[in-house]
Amino acid sequence: MIEILRRWWKPFALLILLLYPWILRAPYYHVLGFNVMLFATMATSWNIMGGYTGYKSLGHSTFYGLGAYLVAIAANELGWNPLISAPFLALIVALVAVLLGWIMLRTSGSAFVIATIAMLLIFRLTALNLREITKGAPGLSQPLPPWTPEFSRMPFYYYMLAWLIIAIFVSWYIRRSRFGLGLVAIRDDEGKAEMVGVKTTLYKMLAFGISAYFVALGGGVWSYFTSHISPVFAFDIIVGVDMILMTMLGGLGTLWGPVLGAFILVPSADLILFSFESNTIYLAVIGLMMMAVILFLPKGILPTIEGWIQDRRAPRAAHQGALSMAEMHGLTDEPPSPAKEARHD
Amino acid sequence: MHLPSWNVLIQVTIIGILTGGVYALMATGLTLIFGVMRVINIAHGAFLILSAYISYWMFTAYGLDPFLSVMVSVPILFVIGIIFQRYVLSRVKGDPGLGVLLTFAMALTLEGVMGSLWESTGRSIRTAYTSKVYALELSDLTVRLPWVRVGGLVAAAMALAAIFLFLRYTNLGRAIRATIQNRSAAQLMGVNVERVQAMTFGIGLASVAAGGALFSMIWTFNSGSHEEWISKMLSIIVLGGMGSLPGTFLAAIIMGVAESVAAVVMTSYLSPIVFYLILFITLIFRPQGLLGIKVREG
Amino acid sequence: MTELLQTKGLSRRFGGIQAVRDCDISVQVGSITGLIGPNGSGKTTLFNLITGVYAPDNGEALFDGKRITKLSPSQICHAGLSRTFQITRLFWEMTVLENMIVPIRQVGFRSLLGPNMFREEIDRAMGLLERVGLTHLKDERARKLSFGQQKLLEFASILMAKPTMVLLDEPAGGVNPTMIRFIMNLIQELNQDGVTFLVVEHNMGVVMELCNHVIVLDQGTKLAEGAPEAIQTNRAVLDAYLGN
Repeated sequence: MIEILRRWWKPFALLILLLYPWILRAPYYHVLGFNVMLFATMATSWNIMGGYTGYKSLGHSTFYGLGAYLVAIAANELGWNPLISAPFLALIVALVAVLLGWIMLRTSGSAFVIATIAMLLIFRLTALNLREITKGAPGLSQPLPPWTPEFSRMPFYYYMLAWLIIAIFVSWYIRRSRFGLGLVAIRDDEGKAEMVGVKTTLYKMLAFGISAYFVALGGGVWSYFTSHISPVFAFDIIVGVDMILMTMLGGLGTLWGPVLGAFILVPSADLILFSFESNTIYLAVIGLMMMAVILFLPKGILPTIEGWIQDRRAPRAAHQGALSMAEMHGLTDEPPSPAKEARHD
Repeated sequence: MHLPSWNVLIQVTIIGILTGGVYALMATGLTLIFGVMRVINIAHGAFLILSAYISYWMFTAYGLDPFLSVMVSVPILFVIGIIFQRYVLSRVKGDPGLGVLLTFAMALTLEGVMGSLWESTGRSIRTAYTSKVYALELSDLTVRLPWVRVGGLVAAAMALAAIFLFLRYTNLGRAIRATIQNRSAAQLMGVNVERVQAMTFGIGLASVAAGGALFSMIWTFNSGSHEEWISKMLSIIVLGGMGSLPGTFLAAIIMGVAESVAAVVMTSYLSPIVFYLILFITLIFRPQGLLGIKVREG
Repeated sequence: MTELLQTKGLSRRFGGIQAVRDCDISVQVGSITGLIGPNGSGKTTLFNLITGVYAPDNGEALFDGKRITKLSPSQICHAGLSRTFQITRLFWEMTVLENMIVPIRQVGFRSLLGPNMFREEIDRAMGLLERVGLTHLKDERARKLSFGQQKLLEFASILMAKPTMVLLDEPAGGVNPTMIRFIMNLIQELNQDGVTFLVVEHNMGVVMELCNHVIVLDQGTKLAEGAPEAIQTNRAVLDAYLGN
C-alpha cells in the first residue's frame, strides 16, 4: 500500500493540479491556485540557498522586486510579453544576485542575514527615488493580458505550475549532484569544506544566483498578474519572510518541504485575511507561526515525520547504534583484523 | 542635491548631535544584548515602538509627562525582557541564524498586535513644551535648539551614565562585562550565565523603554515604524562595533549628524539610505565596526 | 634532497600574543617529519598559517617551490597539501561514504553537474575505508561513530584528495595503544607510497619511532631540529619543555 502511494503520488498529484482550475471554476480559486504555485516555486528557490547551504537570506524579496520591475518596464517600453520575457529577465537578476552574493558572502551567520535586509532596504529606497524609471511611490502599471476576463487567471496558474515543476527539478538535480554535496558540506562545516578543497565562495555565489532566479521570475509573473506594482509591495520584506516560513514549516533543506509549506500556508493565510479582514492580524499570526515553527518544529514537518517513521521501523537498530561510554572514547576500538596488520610488519 | 549655507550646516550638525544622544540611548540595549548573547535582537525596534505607545497612552489618558512615564514603561519592559529571554530566546541557543529569525518573528508579532490595537494613526506626544525652541546666539549665528531635543540629550546622557556606572561598579554589571568578553571564562569563574543573559535582555529592553519615552516626543510613529528604526539602530551598533558601548555612543552621534546633514543635502525621502548603505558597507568590509573586537576566525 | 614544504620568516600575532615569530622550517620530500614543542609553542598556529586558515603578518610559505602564502585553503588543498585537525573535524550530518567523496578534487564545470558519486570514486573510497576498517559503517552518519573511528575517518577522507603531503595534528591523541600502532603503520605505509608527512605530536614514543626528522618549536619559533635521538638529548629542548 505504501509502495503504491510512493510510486504513484506524483503523477496523481500532477493530474489533480492540472484539473484543478476546471474542478473549481470560480476566479477566486484560480487566484488562490496561482498564489500557491507562485510561492511554492519561490520557496523551493529560496531553499536552494537557505536550506542547502544554510545561508538564510531574509532579503530575498529584493529579487522579487527586481524581477517585477524589469518585466513591467520591458512590457511598457519595449512591448515585451511578460510570459516570454520573464525567464530571460530573471537571468539578469540572477547575475545581479551572483554579484551581490560575491560581496555579501564574505559575512556569515547573523551578519549575512542583516546584510540581506540592508540590501532589500537599499533597493526599495532606490526604487522609490528613481522616479523617471520606476514612477516612484505611486507605482507602475503595465498592459493587461490579452485574454478574456473569465480565463484571465488560468493561464497564470498553468504557467506557474510549469515553472514549479522546473524549479523542483532543478532543486532535485542539485541535490544529487556533486555541487549539491558541496553545498551541504558548506552547511555542515564551511571551514572544513574549504580545507578539503571545496571552492566555497564559488559554490555559495552560484547557489545564491540560482536561488534568485525563480524568485525573480515569480516577481515578473506577479507584476503581470497584478498589472500594477509599487516599491512598497514589490520590495516587501514579508514576501521573503513567507518563503522562509514555508520552507521551515515544510522542512528546511528537503526537496518537497518548501512545496508542502506553500500548500499549507497560502490557503491558510488567505483564510486568516478573510476571517479577520485585517492586515495587521495577519502579521501577528505570521509572526506567531514563525516563532512556533522555530521553537517547536525547527526541522519542519517532513523531517519530523521521517524521524517518526525511522524510530518506529527500527527500534532495535536504534539501540544497536547507541554506543557505550567506553566505545565512545575509543577505548574498545579494535583496529582492523590482524591479517591486515601482519601484511606490513 | 544642493549644498546648504554655513548657518544651516551648523544648525543641522548641532541638531544631529542632540539626536545622536537619543539614538545612543535607544541603541545601547541592542549592543548590550548582542555582546552578551551574540543574538541580534531585531525586535528591538518593535519594543521601542511599544514603549513609545505606553508613554503616549500614559500621557493621553492620565496626563503623565513622558519624562515621568518612564517609571511605568521601564519596569514593564524590563520584566518582558527577562521573560522573553528566559522562556523563548534561550531555547534556540547556539544558532545565531535562528535567533535572528526568532526575534524577527517577534517583531512581526508585535507589529501585528500593536497595529490591531492602536491602528495606523501616526502618534506623537505634544506636551506644553514640545514645540518650544530656545534660540541660542553664537556670534552672528542663531541656533535654534528645541527644548525637547536638549532635554532628550540630557536625559539620555543621564541614563547612559547610569548604565555605565551600573556595569562598572555592581556585581551584576561586572558579570555582564565578563560574559561579553569571554563567556566560557566567565562561566568557569562562577558567573550564572543564564541569569546574566535574562538580566541583560531585561536591561536592554528597559533602556529602550527610556529611549522610547524621549522618542515619542520627538518623532511620529505607528506600528509600522519599527522597521525603519531597527534598521537605524542596527546601522549604529554595527558601525560602532557590536558589543561595544563606547562604540555605539560614538556611532550614534556620527549617524545623527550624518542623517541630519543628508536630509538637507538630498531629499529627506532618500536620506535613510545613508543608514542602510553604512550598514551594508560596514558589515561587509569592516565587520568589527569602529571600536568593536575583531571576530576570531574559527 | 629537495624541500617540499618551506616557511620563511612566518609571523603572526593575535591581540597581544605573538603566536608565531619569524619561523623558518623545511620539510624534505618523502620524509616523516615531527613537529614538537611545549604547549603554546605555536604548532597548530603554524599549521593554520601554512594551510591558509590565517594570513601571516609577515613571511611566506612555499610548497613544491610555489608560493602558497596568499592562497585560500581550498587552493592549497588543490596544490596537494592536506591536513587533519587536533579536534577531529568531519561533516557530522553526512554519512561516512559522503565524507569520503567530498574531498575528491573537482576538475571543471561538468563534474559539478554530474551525479554525487561515480562508480570509480565509490570503489576508491571503499578501498580506503577497508584499509581503516570502516566499510561496514559506510552509510552511518559521522556523528554516530566512536571517537577512534572518527579519527580514522578524518584521516582516510583527506587521502581521497590524493595529497602529496599531509599535515597531521596529533594523530595519536586520545586513542588507545593498539589504535596508535595501527595509525603509525598506516602512516608508514602511505609514506612508502610517496606521501610526505609533517606530524604534530605530544606522544614522544610515537615521534621517536615514526619520524626520521624532528623540528622543535618554542615560543613561536624554531628552537632546534635534527634526528630524533639528537633532539632527545638536546639541552635547549629539554630546557624549553621543563621551563628552565
